[in-house]
Amino acid sequence: MNDNNPSLEQQVVIARLEDFDPRSGNLGERAIFNHRPWVVLFCLLVTLVLGYQASKIGLNASFEKTIPTSHPYVANFLERRSELSGLGNSIRIAVQIKDGSIFDKDYLDVLARLNDEIYLLPGVDKPYMKSLWTPTTRWTAVTEEGLDGGTVIPDTYDGSAASLEQVRTNVARSGEIGQLVAGNFQSSVIFVPLLEINPVTGKALDAGELSRQLEALRDKYQNERIQIHITGFTKIIGDLIAGLAQVMLFFVIAVLVTVTVLYWYTRCVRSTALVVLCSLVAVLWQIGLLATLGYDLDPYSALVPFLVFAIGMSHGAQKMNGIMQDIGRGTHRVVAARYTFRRLFAAGMTALLCDAVGFAVLMVIKIQVIQDLAITASIGVAVLIFTNLILLPILLSYIGVGAKAAERSLRAETAELKANVKHPLWSFLDLFTRRSWAYGACLVGLALAIGGFAVSLQLKIGDLDPGAPELRPDSRYNRDAAFMTQNYAASSDIFVVMVKTPEDQCTRYPTLAAVDALAWQLEQLPGVESTNSMAALSKIAAAGYNEGNFKWYELIPNDGALGAVQTRAPRELFNQGCSLLSLYVYLADHKADTLERVVQTSEAFIAQQRLPDVKFMLAAGSAGIEAATNIVVKKAMREMLFWVYGAVILLCWVTFRSWRAVLAAVLPLMLTSILCEALMVGLGMGVKVATLPVIALGVGIGVDYALYVLSVILTHMRAGATLSEAYYRALLFTGKVVLLTGITLAIAVATWAFSPIKFQADMGILLAFMFLVNMLGALILLPALAYFLLPQRLFVKKPEVAGALQPVGEG
Amino acid sequence: MIGNFSLMRALPVALLLAALSVSGWATASPGIALLNQAALQSAKAPRAVLLAVTRAGERLVAVGERGIVLLSDDSGQSWRQARVPVSVSLTAVQFVDAEQGWAVGHMGVILRSTDGGQTWVKQLDGVAAAHLALVSAQQGNDAKRLKDAQWLVADGPDKPFLDLYFSDRRNGYVVGAYGLILHTTDGGDSWQPWMQQVDNPEGLNLYGIRPAGGALFIVGERGLLLRSVDNGGSFQALESPYDGSFFGLQGSPAGELVAFGLRGNAYWSGDQGLTWRRVETGLEVALSSGTQLPDGALILASQAGDLLLSPDRGRSLRHLTGPAGASIAGLVAAPDGSLISVGLSGVTRLKHNLSSAQR
Repeated sequence: MNDNNPSLEQQVVIARLEDFDPRSGNLGERAIFNHRPWVVLFCLLVTLVLGYQASKIGLNASFEKTIPTSHPYVANFLERRSELSGLGNSIRIAVQIKDGSIFDKDYLDVLARLNDEIYLLPGVDKPYMKSLWTPTTRWTAVTEEGLDGGTVIPDTYDGSAASLEQVRTNVARSGEIGQLVAGNFQSSVIFVPLLEINPVTGKALDAGELSRQLEALRDKYQNERIQIHITGFTKIIGDLIAGLAQVMLFFVIAVLVTVTVLYWYTRCVRSTALVVLCSLVAVLWQIGLLATLGYDLDPYSALVPFLVFAIGMSHGAQKMNGIMQDIGRGTHRVVAARYTFRRLFAAGMTALLCDAVGFAVLMVIKIQVIQDLAITASIGVAVLIFTNLILLPILLSYIGVGAKAAERSLRAETAELKANVKHPLWSFLDLFTRRSWAYGACLVGLALAIGGFAVSLQLKIGDLDPGAPELRPDSRYNRDAAFMTQNYAASSDIFVVMVKTPEDQCTRYPTLAAVDALAWQLEQLPGVESTNSMAALSKIAAAGYNEGNFKWYELIPNDGALGAVQTRAPRELFNQGCSLLSLYVYLADHKADTLERVVQTSEAFIAQQRLPDVKFMLAAGSAGIEAATNIVVKKAMREMLFWVYGAVILLCWVTFRSWRAVLAAVLPLMLTSILCEALMVGLGMGVKVATLPVIALGVGIGVDYALYVLSVILTHMRAGATLSEAYYRALLFTGKVVLLTGITLAIAVATWAFSPIKFQADMGILLAFMFLVNMLGALILLPALAYFLLPQRLFVKKPEVAGALQPVGEG
Repeated sequence: MIGNFSLMRALPVALLLAALSVSGWATASPGIALLNQAALQSAKAPRAVLLAVTRAGERLVAVGERGIVLLSDDSGQSWRQARVPVSVSLTAVQFVDAEQGWAVGHMGVILRSTDGGQTWVKQLDGVAAAHLALVSAQQGNDAKRLKDAQWLVADGPDKPFLDLYFSDRRNGYVVGAYGLILHTTDGGDSWQPWMQQVDNPEGLNLYGIRPAGGALFIVGERGLLLRSVDNGGSFQALESPYDGSFFGLQGSPAGELVAFGLRGNAYWSGDQGLTWRRVETGLEVALSSGTQLPDGALILASQAGDLLLSPDRGRSLRHLTGPAGASIAGLVAAPDGSLISVGLSGVTRLKHNLSSAQR
């Protein structure tokens, strides 16, 4: 966007500062440039204060922020969260023996020591911890007289062959096979319920710390015979936080790569260093402001510093480029800085406004983490106005640019303008302003759009990978999760239907019969593996109460018998006051289709439900929350596209005042959006909380390119140039910068592809793709479309339109 | 932690045996939809809880939860679900020939099929059964009997039938919880309460009814052993060798019989039930069912899936080698010689000719 000032007037070259009238320029310019030391001092102070604040920024990964808390399903869940004890936070640690079986002295010794160490970890709900070694793990058998039982590992255990055999027998009759003990007897589980608030310290559970302690224990006890597998929500969060710290390293890589690109472009150490410094200051301010406002960096908003840095780099590059050209012409560096400020402040504001629109649109999505992202990004953009539109020119006015680089820049510019020989790349791009190439480009674009659209129809909502979708499929955690699913009757995808009844009425026959009917309907659906509920337990209990005879397996329509089951029922099936039942639906996966089927069947059942005083409610459990998230995301995707395209079209129209130009600018963006969706299908990504912002950011930032290129084309065509000439001018003025911006932005976000956090990698790949394709669209498809949409006769017939060709945001 | 697991799938057999005394089952129940609701056709039926399996000619018929009836014409390799007018758990099934059969179940349900199990008609349910008992009691003068019948009506249809025996297409008995027993002489078109003819003053649960050597035997709760030597006209209590519950019995035409039940207990009698001898099984879990193989050998199964073989009609039992499989509630020999068992995790087909292979 440098030099894209439509007036294109060449400022007078003023070599000596004394010849320059400091009272020239608008109020803003005078206010800033006539008090340069104060501005620098102010910025220095702000940097110190915010830098101190930034050091206090926390890393966090909150679950609640990633879910749509206003959706009725989630609201239902949150309202009754304390009563849903089955969904409490817990960790499951499987200790596996590679050879032999768990009925092994060494194995049980290791298990005992691990068990004792975990027992002492802060945050563990000690009385409810369960493993082969806890006294709560018992065996039971029915005798003629009643019940017989004891702990699975007897008090007399001494590690001898006989006592190991005793343990084996007890395990077999404990009913724990598939729960605490794997069916192949090669592993057993330590079940560790966690307290959300530590009653001793009163502090909330520190997932990151607990996760590190568990990893330390894993390192300590794992060897070639013993493998340890850890799963649980807190472990996911812990791994995310660990991954987030790692992502910060990528920031360094992104900085290094963009510095290299910029230096390659300018060949000037001084100015490159300044641009990087200002962009880093922007990031520092942004993080400092976030910390001051009480925000943490989460895995989503960690994207923003990357974007802010990259956007800052591209704007800084343009400022520097302008100053460099002026200095090259012989202008004094202070005057050059002021000229550049005059020419580019408005244009820079326009571009930043476009970016801001892309971010702001995200506020329509009622998911806090995305709204936080929008706010964080808005702060970042606001900060950029200070650091890169004001501070950078001022610093450049002190330091200037390298003389050689300035000459080189001027030489290149004049050579390109005067010489008849165009740079091969520019000649190639110029081809697209001719009939046959324009036809070709448009046809290819159309073909891509149609093909991409056909593919994008298969775009799924939600997460598609098994295990914890936040982490990579081959991550330690997901391999552990796969081990659990293989060896234990456990599913990590749980959908819970809540059933509200009057106090103490939760085990009435009609209620349980309805729960049972819904459970059986749901079990018919593909993707539903099994269900569990008070109704299912009551059937088993009926057999249990009748000497274990299977023939009593039925929901006996007798409220006395059903009520008696309560005393033996695990608390996760009903609440303390017996007014809330939970129907657990265990799913094979959390694909959107599976969730949608469960939701639809449940909703249809609820609609026909006629029991007085009994209310069936969706939905809790990981899959229940995910179902709600999918619904919100699906709706938000349409809304968001509507808003972001609406805003972009409006912005383009205000800038161009020509619907043809708007079409030429927006059609390539739409192609990018379609191709991005097709790419998601190809990479097996679904539309989810993480990928949704990408779509808006891609369009919001992508339209910059079109704005820069097209505004110059229009100016020159309105001045009478042919499309080819106008486009060549545009390439020389802004094309280079578009290339540079596209590449720096893409590189900055592409480093994310290596993140251990799966959705960050997804975001990085998609954003990099969108930035690159948008750049190509602006350089190839846009001139081709202009050939058809903006024929020269338009400008001959209506010369009066030309007057309106000012960029927005002036003054 | 159980919240994350499927209780159904990993049923802790031992835990569910938690015997709590249930007092005062008194509350009346409203109408039961399941009694008039056709069983849902389900792809999961072969893995549902199945409680009994039998033969209808060459066909296998298995029954279980939610009114599921499964049919197989290829010795259990594939199964299809029959049309059933109720959705309650069915507990027992018997065919007297390839077409004619009956199934009984919870909430007093009696079903009849005349086409080898493909379609079923409800002949009775608990509401009608209670009414039947009341009418019958009102005709007599027994105050206690009338009171019992009134309770039966007030309780609603909460009592299951647990077994049945038909000697031919017309004559049969169904037995169930709290001493319930009904008798028919017209293939189930009409039923007579038969409690008065049975020596079961405590109303103990009746778990099995089978013929042996011309007599008819019933076994039940707390070691209950009943015998009828007048073709079912009346049943007399026998002296029992065991005070735990019997869950079933197998009889031979020669009159030898073996009764089995809780904690691996099995008792053999060679004299029509007058004297009994304990048969060592080496098991601590309940024996649930038995069946006769084509070669005359007897197989008993435990609820935990152990199989016991008796080559001598119950005098001795030998544990078949191999790990215990899925839980077993019922079993039968298929036409091709394989053994079909049903239980909490559905149908299991044990490969060919257990009898010859294992001996």
